Formats: sequence, structure tokens, C-alpha cells
Amino acid sequence: MIDDTITFTDTEALAVQGARLMESGRSYFIAAGGPPALAVILGKRLYAPDLIYSYGDGAIDPQPDYPPRRTTTPYTRSAAFGSMNNPRFQATAGYMDYAALEAIQVDQFGNFNTSMIGTDYERPRRRFGGAGGANEMASCCWRTILVLRLEERRLVPQVDFITSPGFLDGSPRARERAGLPADTGPYRVITDQAIFGFEEKSHRMELLAVGSWTSAEAVIGKMEFEPLVAKDLKVLEQPTLVELWSLRTEIDPGGRALAGFSQDFQVARGGWISPDTSATGSLAL
Amino acid sequence: MSNRKQSASSKAPSAKARGRSRSAERTDGAKRDSMQVIASGQGEFLAPDPDGFRRFIRDNKVRNEVDKRMSAQEAVQRFVQDGNYITLDGNMGYRGPNLLLREVIRQRKRDLWVAAGPGTNEIPLLVAAGCVSRVDVGWMDPSPVIQYAMREGRLKVVEWSNGGLSYRHLAGAMGVPFLPVRFLGGSGAFEHSGAKLIKDPFTGENLVLVPAINPDVALIHVHQSDRFGNCRVFGPGFAPAEKAGSAKRVIISTEEIIEPAEIRRLPGLTTIPHYIVDAVVHAPFGAYPGGMPGMYHGDGEHMGDLAAAQRSRRDSGLLEKFLEKWIYSVASDEEMLEKHVERETLSEMRTSNISEAFGV
Repeated sequence: MIDDTITFTDTEALAVQGARLMESGRSYFIAAGGPPALAVILGKRLYAPDLIYSYGDGAIDPQPDYPPRRTTTPYTRSAAFGSMNNPRFQATAGYMDYAALEAIQVDQFGNFNTSMIGTDYERPRRRFGGAGGANEMASCCWRTILVLRLEERRLVPQVDFITSPGFLDGSPRARERAGLPADTGPYRVITDQAIFGFEEKSHRMELLAVGSWTSAEAVIGKMEFEPLVAKDLKVLEQPTLVELWSLRTEIDPGGRALAGFSQDFQVARGGWISPDTSATGSLAL
Repeated sequence: MSNRKQSASSKAPSAKARGRSRSAERTDGAKRDSMQVIASGQGEFLAPDPDGFRRFIRDNKVRNEVDKRMSAQEAVQRFVQDGNYITLDGNMGYRGPNLLLREVIRQRKRDLWVAAGPGTNEIPLLVAAGCVSRVDVGWMDPSPVIQYAMREGRLKVVEWSNGGLSYRHLAGAMGVPFLPVRFLGGSGAFEHSGAKLIKDPFTGENLVLVPAINPDVALIHVHQSDRFGNCRVFGPGFAPAEKAGSAKRVIISTEEIIEPAEIRRLPGLTTIPHYIVDAVVHAPFGAYPGGMPGMYHGDGEHMGDLAAAQRSRRDSGLLEKFLEKWIYSVASDEEMLEKHVERETLSEMRTSNISEAFGV
């Protein structure tokens, strides 16, 4: 008998679910490496060839190689190289449609944390890297897509630290009152098992789709708050062989995006791939 | 040191008061012209002093082209003092001023305040070596070194973001005291930074301001420089022009020294003009162990050792060994490369050259 079981990792599931949401003709503002970058590049490869993306450190609209070439001039065939201020100017001016970002914790209004766990800012229980470019991306892009693994202590009523803004307290115009551009905010939260949106009026997180291999109850059971649940709850199909093949051979051969430093930590698709301290790293110390 | 810092809430000259006196001078008198401060972050920052910065520039920066070549040792000795605010362009992985940072560590500079946006492993390395007591993030590699130092109160972190820091440098380079940004607002990164929320006198909407930063020293690694400091950075990223322009002292390390005539032939390629630069250090492989766009890859083995040392238990002694081997036990990077890096490793790291990669 032929075993037709498909196996995939959490990270692969994140990248695939994200990739399926990508839209052609849109611009994505991303950080180097990690599941959001994988999702955007896989989405460009398979579903939305005309999407463009730019990196927080100043590379505008690169055209990746499949598979990535080993190179010291990352971001191959970019349209422009600029100061890291340039893509921020453009995000502020409205050119960047989507931010695609990692988070350690997300709250019910889409505020997210990549700074610290604990209650004392000066002496955190666990310090993380900080905002990187996430704060300005989540503030100035029209829509924010967050990517994180669904596990306990990730989706919480209140984050320990709002590194980057969602809908803040959820009240109308809360973002504008805080000085952020109008009509912006979180759009989707992608996990390996479910996808969430935000209800228009209350700005509260809403369960939109659940993996075919799990259930809404199981998903909500891993959350620290009750989300709204969409009336027409969609089903997420598991990653297909084509998606996994593309991810493993064309986008991220060898899993380097999350593998930590290696000889190949600079790969064609972008910049340095930082050591294993990505935002979604372990919550344990 | 406390007189040069301010906590936004207490010692800051009241922006509210300044706004009032300024609007009193206006003739239109419209109410929405007053620039009211709605909220202030509580983080520590250097008080913007654009006139002080101008005077420093007037009195200390050489206008005409003079030969500024010197050793890393001399440059760091002359221009980096204990207690300085230093800013880095690039990081340990990518076009960072890594040779210059090793010299800072070797000279055991103390109590530095460093801008990490975006930083990586060099921040915990500087902390482990006892050089840095404050970090503005940005981003940094939060290895156990950072965790211990924060818990023991040896390291203070001030929360910004990469963009918050790069706009602050931009403001500093523009010679203005602050810039408006349309981010940071509403976040913990606002509360724990030195940003302010005001009512914008033009639109009537709320707006975030970030204070300018004028670092004491900028450390920047570039591809090419002439002996006067006219220099070129190729490839994407970071903010070399903003960081150099905002700093009182600028140390450039450069892969190649080129002729002034070459600079004058293609002035559009000059990233930083000579009068901003104080020291030019010739530094082939100056970004080692990181990579240099168009020139060489990082040394993965070295990076792996560093990452392992930074993640090791404190009593393992791995970090001390790392610092001893790569920095303290050698007099310079030249000696380090000679003693500890195989020639084969360096030639394997090489990928292309500047003219091949960037067409100049």
C-alpha cells in the first residue's frame, strides 16, 4: 500500500497559508527572513506573480531567483536600493499596501509584541529583539498581516508590551488619536491552524477559517480569549505537494530561513538571515 | 553624565511652553496653531541641541580636503570616549563596522550608549565586553548576555524602532530638533521612548514627534573612500548618509582607498562627502565576520562560534575565550586575520569585486 500522508512543519504551514492570501498588484513591506518573507515570496511564485515587496532596510522590489543563488549582493535585481528611510517615506505616503510581520504575542485587537515578556520593562522575564521595522510597517501600511504559531500564551487578551500597534483599545479612531494614518490597521492573523480577521465595528479578532485537520473548538482552546467566530467559517486545506515542493526546493532549500547561521546565511532573496532569535522564538528562557 | 540626558517628563524644556511663546509671535492667532503636547514617552534620550551641534561643527570640522588616513587604533583612541553615544551603520552580519567595534572593545571603552537599529550579535558582544550600558532599540539579538545584563541592571534599554531611530538620525543630519513621524503612536514603544504626541498645527490631527539625535561618534564601514573621506557605499540598506551627517565625529573604515580623481569623476556615487568624515581607516575585510555586498560572504563558522558563545551558560567561559582569542590577544584586525583565519577561508568568502558587482 502506498502511504500518501503529507508531512509538513509548523513553519511550512504558516508560509503556505500566508502565500494563499497574497494578491497580485499589491505591495508588501517585510522584514528579512522568517515565515512572513517565506509567505510573500512563495505567494509571488505560485499565486500572485505581480505582487511586489520591499525590505525594511531599503531594498525596493527585488526579483528573487528560484532557488536563491548564493550571493553577497542580496535582493537580486531590485528596482532600487535606498536608505532604510526611503521605504518608510513611501509607506508613510501610502505606497505600501500590506505589512507582513511576525509576532510573539497578539491581543484581541491585533496589537502585537516582539519586545518582552514580563511586567517590569527594566527587568523583563524574557527580553526579545524589539520592533525592528514592525512598528512603522504596522502603523503606515494600509493593512497588517501577522504571522505566528498557534500555541498557548500567544493569543492573549492583553499583550505584555505593545511593540507595534493594532487597533489599540479597539475604540473608533483610536489609531488616528494616537497619531497613526487613517484607514489602516490589522487585517489578518495567520497561524498554522487557523486564520483570523477583525470585525469591522468592534475591531475584535474574529475566527475566519480553521484547518481541515482540526476544529474551531480545538483552536479556541489554545487561545487565552474568546474570539468572535464568523458565521460562514471557512476550511483551510492542508499544504499541497506542489506548495511544499516549491517551498522546499525553490524558495527555501534546506530550510535556511529558520535554520540559523550557516555559510549561506546571506541568500539571494534577501539580506542576512539572523540567528535563531526570530520573533516567534521560544517563550521559554 | 546625567546632565546630558533627559527624561521626557521631568527635565525636558517644556515643548508646551515653547509652543505657546512661538504661537504668540504669530499674527493669525488661530487657535489650532498652538502646538499642544498631548502625551510624552518616558524613555531617556539625549536632549536635542541643534545650535550646540552647529557650534561643534563650526569649531571642529575641517572644511577642506585633508588626508585623514589613520589606523583603527588611532581613530578610536582619538574619537571614541567613555560615556559617548555611538551609532553604527550595518551590523555584525552585514556591512557592519566590525573591525572598528573590535578596536572599541580592545581599548575597553566604557559606559557607551549605542543605537541598535537594526543591530544583531554585535550588541550582546559589546555588552559582554563591558563597553555598553545603554541601548536604543531598534532591534538587537536578545541573547542570554542581554537577558542577564538587564536583570542585573547593567544594561538599560530604551525602546524605539528601526524607523524611529533612522528618522532621529535624519533629523540630526538635517540640523533640526525633531521630525514628525506617523508611527510609534499608541504603542509601548512610544511610552518607553522619548517621542511626543502633539496636535499638528496644520491638519489639526494628532501627530508623533521624535527628537533628533546627534551621536558623539558614527562608525561606518564602506566600500570605497578616498584619503579625504569622500566615500561610496554600494548595495541596499541602512542609513550611512543620515548616520554620518548626524554625528559629531565620523570614523570610516573602507575596503578600498581610491583616488580623489575617481570620486570627482562620478560624484553621483558619493554617499558621504569628505568634510563630514574625521578618520579614514583602510580595512580590507573590515566587515568580517559579516558579509560585504558585492565583495565577500560572512564567515559562517566564526558567526556560529559567536552565536554559540553568546548563548552559552555564563559559567562556561566561552564568551571570555571568544573575546580573548579574537580581540584582546591580538593588536589589530590584521594580526587577527593573520593568526586566526585561514587564507583559504578568506578566499572562499570572496565572491566578486566592486567593479563586477556594481559596474564602477
